[in-house]
Amino acid sequence: MRFKKRFSISGFIVLAIVGITLSAPLLSPYDPYGIDVGEPFLGPSWTHLMGTDDLGRDLFSRILYGGRITVLIAIAATIVALVIGTLWGMVAGVQRGWVDEILMRTADATMAIPQILFALVCVSAVGSSVISLPIIVGLLLSPTTARMARTAVVVELASDYVVAARATGLKKSRLIMTEVLPNIAPQLLVQLSINAAAAVMMEASLSFIGLGIQPPDASWGTLMLQGYGNLWNTNWYVFFPALVVTVTILAFNSYGERIRVSLDSRKSST
Amino acid sequence: MGRYLLRRALSSSIVLATSLILVFLSIRILPGDPVLARLGAATKVTPEALEALREEAGLDRPLLAQLFSWLSDALRGDLGVSYISQFPVTQLIGERLPVTFELTFFIIVLSCIFALILAPLSILKPGGILDRFIGTMTSIGLSIPGFVVGIIFILIFSLTLQWLPSLGFVPIKENIGQNLQLMIMPSITGALTATPYLVRYLRASMLEIKQSSFIRTAEGKGLSDSRIMFRHILPNSLVPTLTMLGLIVGYTLSGVIIIEYMFGLPGIGSLAIEGAFKRDYAIIQGVSLVIISLFILTTLCFDILCGLVDPRLRVAKDRQNEI
Repeated sequence: MRFKKRFSISGFIVLAIVGITLSAPLLSPYDPYGIDVGEPFLGPSWTHLMGTDDLGRDLFSRILYGGRITVLIAIAATIVALVIGTLWGMVAGVQRGWVDEILMRTADATMAIPQILFALVCVSAVGSSVISLPIIVGLLLSPTTARMARTAVVVELASDYVVAARATGLKKSRLIMTEVLPNIAPQLLVQLSINAAAAVMMEASLSFIGLGIQPPDASWGTLMLQGYGNLWNTNWYVFFPALVVTVTILAFNSYGERIRVSLDSRKSST
Repeated sequence: MGRYLLRRALSSSIVLATSLILVFLSIRILPGDPVLARLGAATKVTPEALEALREEAGLDRPLLAQLFSWLSDALRGDLGVSYISQFPVTQLIGERLPVTFELTFFIIVLSCIFALILAPLSILKPGGILDRFIGTMTSIGLSIPGFVVGIIFILIFSLTLQWLPSLGFVPIKENIGQNLQLMIMPSITGALTATPYLVRYLRASMLEIKQSSFIRTAEGKGLSDSRIMFRHILPNSLVPTLTMLGLIVGYTLSGVIIIEYMFGLPGIGSLAIEGAFKRDYAIIQGVSLVIISLFILTTLCFDILCGLVDPRLRVAKDRQNEI
């Protein structure tokens, strides 16, 4: 029963995607950069599970390696968003007053800028690489994390246990680190999952318009762009990266939703 | 009401000003020189020539001076000239804005139609097969990137069935038939990404209304299910959904960036991408200003409209801001 409660298909898929893509060098049947001009645009077969691209490169291997880049960017961006957003929201929620006002109005203003547009602004200024993309995407996701963290901190600070802890003379900084932060961790986990989905979506979008990861390196977005360019030669080329991107985003979103629902039901039962 | 309007207008202006300053500073503070970007692959450029170009573009002035002159020029409708093509940015945006407006209009109309069909269907029997099917489709719809939907449409309707062209644009004034034909796929693509948000919100709102006591009274009076649905539940749940629609109109204005690009539509979205490719900061700044202003103005208009229709929302919004 306990196992049933904790087991979730979306969580399993998230783990599988992260595990498989990160171990790409072990699982990849071919060299992802290995050109075979004699075998372009092959359909799926036992030799090439997802077919080959315009240069005869094995698409399955390229998707595994591309996934490694996409997933690493998403993980790094999620960490950047989590650290900056949590700090941003916690400072606002703890300080309140004008500090809160300035920090939250800045978050509102940042959220009023459409993410893809802001990403274009940043990418055009600094260019795109495996270093700059996670930072840009992470920064863009941090205001929503900050809003969520601030609300959670404000709610926690008004709880009875915080009042009791303050009454025992516990320092505010210690109280935040040892009591409040662990208590808002589940909500941060929900945001983490939603942010990971948004990061995969943003990386894929930027790479799809040619402003993300540049060839010969490939992310899932880059593969989709190349597949889209070769749509009239083969359908499979674009189909598989599009499928893995959608499944990944869906898994992250569903996992976040599942944790949120279980948190809500736990709250209502208490 | 006057106080509410004033407060909403004031907070929107502050958000607008802050976002524009953020965009401006991001371009200026982040590494990357617009003058070098303008020169592209040109070699043998002397430091004196670089300095002259910086002076010409006004980049040698203090940051605050640049910001104020950009904002004051923008208020007069002057967004500067493109660093690359030297065309006025206002003119470039003005030429492309009608395409974006047309696409946004079609997307919003279609997503409203889809949502008005799907949400009532899903609450016919909450938790039933149809409700769960629509719920699953909504979750998938929220996770599919717009361009993946576009690719699926192109595969089916352009490549396989050969019913619709996949690329291009004909102005509505030149040939309305061709214009509509070219707009079908981008509009449905956009609508399918916007619909899930509307369906979720409208469904939740309708479900809440369905459980209220006046609906029980209507049922007790013996009104038919369809009359209860279309005469009582739907109209009452539309008001809260208006706020969501305002956000969706705003998001669609920016969400069309990639749709325009992939379907070859010459709107401001594809202008922004071209600007980003060429690192033409004047264009990126100009497009950002227009999109952000439209986004904030649209949400403001919808908020005011909701406040007018349902005065309870004014109080709720004020309380929300206080929290």
